[in-house]
Amino acid sequence: MSYAIETDGLSKSYGAVEAVEGLSLRVAEGEIYAFLGLNGAGKTTTIRLLLGMIRPSAGSARVLGTKVRMGSTEPWARVGYLVETPHAYPELTVFENLEAARRLHPGTPPAAIGQIIERLALDEYADRRAGTLSQGNAQRLGLAKALLHHPRLLILDEPANGLDPAGIVEIRALLRELTGEQGVTVFMSSHILAEVSRLAGRIGIIHAGRLIKELDIEELERDRRRRLLLGARDLAAARAALVAAGCPAEVTSDGAIELRDPAAISRPDDVAVALVRAGTPPTRLVVEEEDLEQYFLRLVGMNGAGQ
Amino acid sequence: MNALPDMVWIEARKAVQSRMALWTGFGSLFFPLGIAFLLFVARNPEISQKLGIVSAKANLVAYAAVDWPTYLNMYAQLIGTGGFILFILIVSWVFGREFTDGTVKDWLAVPVARASILLAKMVLVALWAAGLTLVILAAGLVVGSLMALPGGSPALILEKCVPVLVAAGLAILLVLPFAFFASAGRGYLLPIGLAFVTLFAANLAIILGRGEYFPWAVAGLYAQGKTPLGPASYAIVAATFLVGVLATYLWWQTADQK
Repeated sequence: MSYAIETDGLSKSYGAVEAVEGLSLRVAEGEIYAFLGLNGAGKTTTIRLLLGMIRPSAGSARVLGTKVRMGSTEPWARVGYLVETPHAYPELTVFENLEAARRLHPGTPPAAIGQIIERLALDEYADRRAGTLSQGNAQRLGLAKALLHHPRLLILDEPANGLDPAGIVEIRALLRELTGEQGVTVFMSSHILAEVSRLAGRIGIIHAGRLIKELDIEELERDRRRRLLLGARDLAAARAALVAAGCPAEVTSDGAIELRDPAAISRPDDVAVALVRAGTPPTRLVVEEEDLEQYFLRLVGMNGAGQ
Repeated sequence: MNALPDMVWIEARKAVQSRMALWTGFGSLFFPLGIAFLLFVARNPEISQKLGIVSAKANLVAYAAVDWPTYLNMYAQLIGTGGFILFILIVSWVFGREFTDGTVKDWLAVPVARASILLAKMVLVALWAAGLTLVILAAGLVVGSLMALPGGSPALILEKCVPVLVAAGLAILLVLPFAFFASAGRGYLLPIGLAFVTLFAANLAIILGRGEYFPWAVAGLYAQGKTPLGPASYAIVAATFLVGVLATYLWWQTADQK
């Protein structure tokens, strides 16, 4: 399999601070890979390393088969990127900013500007100075600059930042279309698992500079914890009945009984029958799946959110 | 380097659309207008009394008899020092704005060599500074004609314009190394602050009688025309320019862009 991005033991430290440590990942061509982490986890540092903006302390990265070197012109003709907050020359119009971006990618035809303006719904703002754009439109302009030269690989840092819900849906559809129809690879960072789970095929979770988990979307579904929550008029009696029936149960702080036994979760009707027979019928019975945020926080060790 | 014309276009477009072009244009007009005011007051002592600048009257008297060669020499001296500060503002803006506006990252991972981008910025700085010099000189010639300065034939005036242009050329060579400070300092403050320190050091070098060996004093000494400058002085200016450009390039090739 050929990879759009390969890193081997990629590290970056600033003094005693390890911003990224021993990062080894593979992003296959044509996939959407989401790089997930809290603020300060090392996402942007990784992206800067991939783009040759900073020198690694150790390890190396290959992008589209080319070893990344600072100050090199390769392989950037085939890469589009957006790092942190998008900035543009405030005194230039949207069109002029795109014209500047076009000239930074020799061979990109002038017609590409009109096409990308239309595609990112910037028509209305084409002649407006970039300094007067809203955050959402500035983000669109940043994405337009990244997409202008029809790159094979997109490296996007928090691409949904500043976009309204309709804009997020629109960009999601655009990225799906680019990967589905044109085979473009997308490497995107985010701190919102719910967002990336709708888009990405694979997810890498980075915490404190380390890649702590890599999984595809199906694994993510399997990994998420499920629990059976039930209510009863007498919680202590109900719990005792369940334990007596061989089903470990705990009373939660918010006044419910929690069961994590997979057998119980898969057959909640049997649990209800057992409680009725014990004379403590359930007043509420619900199978709850750990939400994505809780799952993510559990993985990075910020426990409590998953309870 | 095939991309150089495109890179110069980008830089020129940013400069033309910015307020900076307008402000430096206005700033450059301060030179001929300031000199015109000085000569006018010197020729009309009653105005200097009304304006309350009597104490300077003795100095002003000397300006009343200014002829074309002296007048143009004043321009050469002004360009050598005041022009230096004006050009520093340009180089600080052209390089420093990429950091303050956060746009620097847009040209770090592109298929155009950083050398082309840096060269385009330096070409723009040189063209911009040269353009302002021509504006100052043209305005100066108009002011001189309107004031009917004595002692000037067209050939002599043209001859005396050459030192003004050479002083500007030296100043341009000496401001370009400040691109390094705008880059390493990631903004405007470091190059502008260091420019004032440099001017102070240049004056100190002249006072100590070693001005011809201090690159940033050479333009001023050349404009004054009193101290003979040998090839070593010009070689020092050229070396300062080359070291500055090389340092800027190496910084861009090797420094982390956080």
